[in-house]
Amino acid sequence: MADVVVVVSARSPITALSKNQLIDIFLGKVSRYPDGTEAMPVDQVEGSGPRDEFYAKTADKSAAQIKAYWSKIIFTGRGQPPPTVSNSVEMKKWIQKNPAAIGYIDRALVDDTVRVLY
Amino acid sequence: MNNAHSLRTAIALIAVMTAWCRFDSAAADADSAKSMFSFNAFGTLGVVHSSEDNADFTSSTFKPNGAGFSHEWSADVDSRVGGQVTANITPRLSAVLQLIAEQNYANSYRPEVEWANIKYEFTPDVSVRVGRIELPLFLVSDSRKVGYANPWVRPPGEVYDVVPITNNDGIDISYRVHMGGLSSTLGAAYGRTYRLDFPAGSIADIQDLHGLFSRTEYGAALFNLSYVAAHISLRPVSALLEDFREFGPAGEAIADRYELEQKLATIVSAGASYDPGKWFATAEWTEFDGHSYLGVDTGWYVSGGYRIAKFTPYLTYSALTVASTSAAGLNAAALPAGEAGTAYALNVGLNELLATRPIQRTVSAGTRWDFAKSFDFKLQFDHTRLGHGSAGTLINVQPGYQSGGTVNLCSAAIDFVF
Repeated sequence: MADVVVVVSARSPITALSKNQLIDIFLGKVSRYPDGTEAMPVDQVEGSGPRDEFYAKTADKSAAQIKAYWSKIIFTGRGQPPPTVSNSVEMKKWIQKNPAAIGYIDRALVDDTVRVLY
Repeated sequence: MNNAHSLRTAIALIAVMTAWCRFDSAAADADSAKSMFSFNAFGTLGVVHSSEDNADFTSSTFKPNGAGFSHEWSADVDSRVGGQVTANITPRLSAVLQLIAEQNYANSYRPEVEWANIKYEFTPDVSVRVGRIELPLFLVSDSRKVGYANPWVRPPGEVYDVVPITNNDGIDISYRVHMGGLSSTLGAAYGRTYRLDFPAGSIADIQDLHGLFSRTEYGAALFNLSYVAAHISLRPVSALLEDFREFGPAGEAIADRYELEQKLATIVSAGASYDPGKWFATAEWTEFDGHSYLGVDTGWYVSGGYRIAKFTPYLTYSALTVASTSAAGLNAAALPAGEAGTAYALNVGLNELLATRPIQRTVSAGTRWDFAKSFDFKLQFDHTRLGHGSAGTLINVQPGYQSGGTVNLCSAAIDFVF
């Protein structure tokens, strides 16, 4: 089971986030970081280990609960879930390219192009 | 019916907006998930059995039949399929079209437009929508038809059937405020006309709808407060009430007081839910005043559940009561013999009409099983105790029906989302 860490780009101004702030961003409840800049959460595809581990650790919610939550949001026209990438390698590439992005990758992939928040 | 017109208008609007903004294919990444159109679908396949053979149980007062008298096992009560297309035309402009196929008041599954609206976001916190928009009367009003999004087979009828209307043709504006960890969305809606032509020939007309909504979230807690006022009419007018008009000013006053003709109906509702992950608890209360023979309905429920592996067993207690009213009616004693008899009969008829109100309490126990990705299965038992002399929310009441008893329901459903 991969150990998953929450990361932003090393070029991002964000150095810390509370767990509530983090989960609010991923659930689409807020669209900006505490400093006012735009937040761009990115998910891994449904059914992937890192995704399920991320939501279990940060929000204490199962994959089905997250799906039910987004069903409610999508089917009430209130928003859309974050875009998805296929795995941690793709996630890291996306975050390297975009200073506003926030996501989660395998701990083993961490290097100095990304900053670990959790 | 407005639906065909609204559907054409919505599609025309979306086509026009799309033609205005060219889709920039250069922005599409190899891994891009941000294309302009997205399609989602949801549905429920459910069956219900009712122990009451002399009346039907349904999930909406708009349905013409259900489980019990019409069908031993009814698949019409909860089954439906919905499809939604969302177009993100620019970062601030989006459009949504949602169609739902379910048993409607004409006993057909013809797809109807649930939503067709354009949304413009001035900022991420301030937006306006025009078209056919969801009406967030209760906590899960706007997702009451998406079985997968809710723990129960259906939201408790004692609250959700008080007003079964789920959308509004008009405009709404919403404003979101953030204060620390608290996020509050305030909304105001205005709708013009909404008209239902029932197959039996009667027409329900809802005009001049005004609504105020407030939704506050704090971590795992959610609070909802809403108020809607509209002018409603039900035609043809009641023959009984029209007969009162033969009796001079006193009769006219009685007819005006109780008839449903351009009557101001108001509904207030408050709800709260807490869902930290392993368990949930939710409660709602609502009060509807029809300012007519419809009286004042008060409905509420409390519900809770616990998640164990892929199962979520839950328990709900709900109640619907109506303030008891009676009418003195006409002063029959002051009339000559021939008219007095008629007046007396009308008074009795009026009081019978006022007394025929939905009063019931339900205990409901069930479980949800998330057996596969995008699917869930639910099994639910409802035990309803009807008020004295009341048929509750049952329809198609047959001559042999004995009011004030109990009804037991068994419901099984499979929900899915794509």
